[in-house]
Amino acid sequence: MLEGIPVLSLVILLPLIGAFVTLGLGRHGKHARVVALAFSAAALVLSLLVTYEFATDPTSEATGYHNGYQFYEEYEWIETLGVSYIVGIDGISLPLFVLTTLLCMLSVLFSWDTEKRPKEYFGLMLILEVGVLGVFVSLDYFMFYVFWEVVLIPMYFLIGIWGGPRKDYAAIKFFIYTHVASLALLIAIMAMYFEAGLQTFSMEAIAAESVGFARAMQVAIFAAMFFGFGVKLPMVPFHTWLPDAHVEAPTAGSVLLAGLLLKMGGYGIIRVAIPSLPDGASDLSVLMAVMGVVSIVYGAMVCLAQKDLKKMVAYSSISHMGFVLLGYATLSEVGVVAGVFQMFAHGLVTAVLFMMCGVVQHKCGTRMIPLLGGLAKRMPIAATLMTVGFLASLGLPGLVSFAAEFMVLYATFDKWALWVLVPISAVAITAAYYLWALQRSVFGPMTDKIDTSHLKDMDWYEYVPVGVLVALIAVFGVFPGLVFSRIDSAVEIILRLFGGG
Amino acid sequence: MIPIEYWLVFSSLLFVVGAYGVLTRRNAIVVLMCIEIMLNAANVNLVMFSSYHSALHISVDPSGQAFALFSIAIAAAEVAVGLAIILSVYRRYQTVDVDKINILRW
Amino acid sequence: MMPKRTLWWEDGAVYAIGGALGAMGLSFLVVWDVLMGNTLTDGSQRFEWLVVGDFSLTFGIWIDELTALMLVVVSVVGTLVVFYSGGYMHGEGETRRRYYAEICLFISVMYGLVIADNYLLMFIFWELVGLCSYLLIGFWYERPSAASAAKRAFIVTRVGDIMFMAGIIILFKYVGSLDFAELFHGTGTSAVPTDMMVLSTALIFGGAIGKSAQFPLHEWLPDAMEGPTTVSALIHAATMVKAGVYLTARSYPLLVQAPESLVFVACIGGITALVAATAALAQNDIKRVLAYSTISQLGYMTLGLGAGGYLVIHADTAAGYSAATFHLMNHAFFKALLFLCAGSVIHAVGTNDMRLMGGLGKVMKVTSLTMLIGSLAIAGVPPLSGFWSKDEVLAAVWHAGDFDPVFFVLWLMGMATAFLTAFYMFRMWFMTFAGQPRSAYHAHESPRIMTVPLMVLAGLAIGSGFALFIGEGFESFMAGSIHGLLHGAEHGSLADLAVGIFTDPLTYLTLALAVGGILLAWKVYYVPGFDRSVFAKGVNGRLQRALENRWYISKFYDDLAVKVVYALSLVADAFDRHVIDGIVNGFAYLGGNTGNLIRRLQNGNVQRYTGLIVVGICLLLILVLYVIPWGGW
Repeated sequence: MLEGIPVLSLVILLPLIGAFVTLGLGRHGKHARVVALAFSAAALVLSLLVTYEFATDPTSEATGYHNGYQFYEEYEWIETLGVSYIVGIDGISLPLFVLTTLLCMLSVLFSWDTEKRPKEYFGLMLILEVGVLGVFVSLDYFMFYVFWEVVLIPMYFLIGIWGGPRKDYAAIKFFIYTHVASLALLIAIMAMYFEAGLQTFSMEAIAAESVGFARAMQVAIFAAMFFGFGVKLPMVPFHTWLPDAHVEAPTAGSVLLAGLLLKMGGYGIIRVAIPSLPDGASDLSVLMAVMGVVSIVYGAMVCLAQKDLKKMVAYSSISHMGFVLLGYATLSEVGVVAGVFQMFAHGLVTAVLFMMCGVVQHKCGTRMIPLLGGLAKRMPIAATLMTVGFLASLGLPGLVSFAAEFMVLYATFDKWALWVLVPISAVAITAAYYLWALQRSVFGPMTDKIDTSHLKDMDWYEYVPVGVLVALIAVFGVFPGLVFSRIDSAVEIILRLFGGG
Repeated sequence: MIPIEYWLVFSSLLFVVGAYGVLTRRNAIVVLMCIEIMLNAANVNLVMFSSYHSALHISVDPSGQAFALFSIAIAAAEVAVGLAIILSVYRRYQTVDVDKINILRW
Repeated sequence: MMPKRTLWWEDGAVYAIGGALGAMGLSFLVVWDVLMGNTLTDGSQRFEWLVVGDFSLTFGIWIDELTALMLVVVSVVGTLVVFYSGGYMHGEGETRRRYYAEICLFISVMYGLVIADNYLLMFIFWELVGLCSYLLIGFWYERPSAASAAKRAFIVTRVGDIMFMAGIIILFKYVGSLDFAELFHGTGTSAVPTDMMVLSTALIFGGAIGKSAQFPLHEWLPDAMEGPTTVSALIHAATMVKAGVYLTARSYPLLVQAPESLVFVACIGGITALVAATAALAQNDIKRVLAYSTISQLGYMTLGLGAGGYLVIHADTAAGYSAATFHLMNHAFFKALLFLCAGSVIHAVGTNDMRLMGGLGKVMKVTSLTMLIGSLAIAGVPPLSGFWSKDEVLAAVWHAGDFDPVFFVLWLMGMATAFLTAFYMFRMWFMTFAGQPRSAYHAHESPRIMTVPLMVLAGLAIGSGFALFIGEGFESFMAGSIHGLLHGAEHGSLADLAVGIFTDPLTYLTLALAVGGILLAWKVYYVPGFDRSVFAKGVNGRLQRALENRWYISKFYDDLAVKVVYALSLVADAFDRHVIDGIVNGFAYLGGNTGNLIRRLQNGNVQRYTGLIVVGICLLLILVLYVIPWGGW
């Protein structure tokens, strides 16, 4: 049905046009949110269409099929440099692609009551959406890097203008830190370009060459890429931009930051680094695993000590992305698929968590756990949704994170035997900090430290997005096979390079 | 003819005198005058080389002297512009002391 | 959860009762089927959950004799508790809807747990059961103690759960599947190296330790008494805590391949039984006595399973296995009875503290009588059910001693526990129902909807003991579920069984201990004139305080959690903020200061700039004219 229509480009273009329209609204700034919602909803609908048409087991009859990717488009862009505009989607990008359009639309909805400069706010969100979408579907290194960098600017402004008390510090820190990492990435890309000697930036072409690079070269390039992607992931010890950025960002900004930008890091590793540089990857796999485990455990430990609800959720993101890295480090089919699924799962869950933090802040005026208490009495819907979100994040079976964590742990045991006991113990600590936070903030007697007389429950534009996400969390928790089947075939292709996964 | 070295020394001295003036004098108009001296030193060089070239070779090559005329014209234009700037600066800051006009500092 | 108008009576209780009864009917059909010999153990009717390459997880249903037993327990107790709740939760108002919804959710998840045919599916339901427990313990969430108890329960069981998860991951790696059908039949587990087998079974049992509140993860259960008594009866006496025992029983085919694990199982059971019984001696809260009693009896079951495993290996008999599972069923009935009676008492008197009770026997005749029946049952007085099953368990442990002397020590622990059990149960009964009222309360008998379930359960407490003799006998019934492990030893007839019980001197020893305990309690707590202050002084005093504080175990965990783990996390946080972030900020500071230094070059003085230009040009000239030719580049 979609044969011949450049759907992916259309999905990328829609928010871009929407952004310009929104920014150019002039006097009608109040309607910015409606315009933004319309455009992001349109993008969401298109991406769902793509999902529907997506073939789980790609053969050459699939729509726009090209070498494992579907909905493939290729146009010449800058010929002298060998840059082309190539987009395509496969099992790894698909869940993230849909996640992007979904989260963007829900974030627009959630920010319905933004009063301060709504035009710029929604316009920037749409530009962010364009950037992230581009990262997930581009198959040309130049384009990939451009979209990668495009993401930084709207995020900087979102944090720096609509953020909390320390927004300037957080915004600049975020920008410079991740930018430095991107430079490492740029060097790695350049290295691959020159070493391959093909005068083209197309990922496929370079990948075909780069698997044959000298081992030392591969390790060096992989290390640079690993640093670049790892800062965004984030991995410990390069994670300190995250808590500040998250805490100071406006709620929708945090949702997009945690839900999407972090996934870009993970996506980069699995799309770019591992398939192109298999020798480098296998040499450094122990390092990846160690950093993954450190992220998991360290993130969990620091979470326990937090008094700010949002900072706690931020550190928990660090911990969960550690699982992604650990899954990738096993370089086995189960582990990598689990890692990709964990990215998708975490995107959903973390969106719920940050939205709930936003609700708490909005209604109670504070996020400090010692000042909260007994909120369930006045805000039952919020309490329920928050409980479900926390339970999902700690890996309760039946909700989406469990399948991912279980398989990552299995893959770890498969490769490194009893070392798996280290990340498993973090699971208990995760349960501890979440339930402790719940108990202190939502349950227990009503707090007297803040003014609670006017507390009301969530507004419609708050519980609709959270409700949708929670429903998805439950659905994919019970039927993870729906997503796994699509990821599987793509990962199989990648792992053939490793001698049978 | 006078040995060329004498002319070279002469023009260098002139240049250095001009440069010294530019670097050390505080009055902006004096700085402009010294810039003129430096330009003249260069002109002297040009004329001298042209003349010696013609003397040593059969063909007469006037391009150096022509260029010196060019240079004089441009120097005149440049002085005009420079004086105009100094006048505006004087109107704004009431001084032509170079040391005091330093708002372009960090 | 539906709008109020459709909820008729007691805010949704009618739906709950309807659902529970329906499920009970269906499960009885299944049980009848099993009794007729049909089981579903071949792994058909599968639902594919996820497939990744060669790694696939599919789910289905597994029904055998053990499942049937659990179905009976869950359905009967569940339905009766829902009926009882109609009366008990009368004064709760709007929150009843949440209560009934959560109770129904729990019952359905519990059903799911017992019919799962795959360790992973069971683990999923296992965790969901833990979730329901969390929600129900914290039902009165405004009480900080309740919220805290719920959190503690979840976290402690989580520790057990991660051990369970680790155990099944190990199994999964070596066998490639978690289906019971594959793991339990013959050569399924031949690929697993022995030490891994021991480790994985021990870890799986670790999950049971958490969920069934065995030592050392038992302290969550007494704290869980913060929830409504019906919750305690259903979840923490009759069903959820049995899940761990069920898991151990279900894993028998694996356990018998790792005898070290069996010893571990038995030891934990024995220690738990004794420690919990001692702690129950000094409790003043009626529900806590029952909680510790539950822990203790679960210890009995675990001990029985451990010993039974040895008997399966060495004596080719299912005696221990069937004894333990028999005790599971009996205990479910009389413990639920005891809890519901306690609920009735609390409902009437308004307090849990036994020191404020007394003399209730005159006012609450039905409750008093049924609780007496329950106490006699748990103490092990014939012909009530507890006698038969406890006796069988202890006999099994004694016989296992023939194969490993450690079982003799455990047997002694079991005997001591029997004595203590009788003692503390009757202490409780005497303090509550006998004598004179010790405080002013206005008590009345509970409404019919509450007392009828009590009577039904009392009937079961009396009668379920005789299941030993129904049909071909309970033992051969249960042996059906592990028939793959037994090599065709013949079972004696039922008459032999009865004779065997009554001619075994051990039986009489146990009986003597039980009666002795009752008499001692009678003397200490009923007959006036016994000076109980002797317990407060000296060695006795310290012992008393130790018992009151439950051997300080809870305090130990709190200290561990707060001082060690939390302190570590504070250190980690400080490290993160100052060291790691310090390095990052350090870079920024470095950059900023270097910039500061360099910008001093820009002082806006044109002449300075020109001077630098001239110097630069001279240097260049020197470079070009002299240095480079000299270097030959």
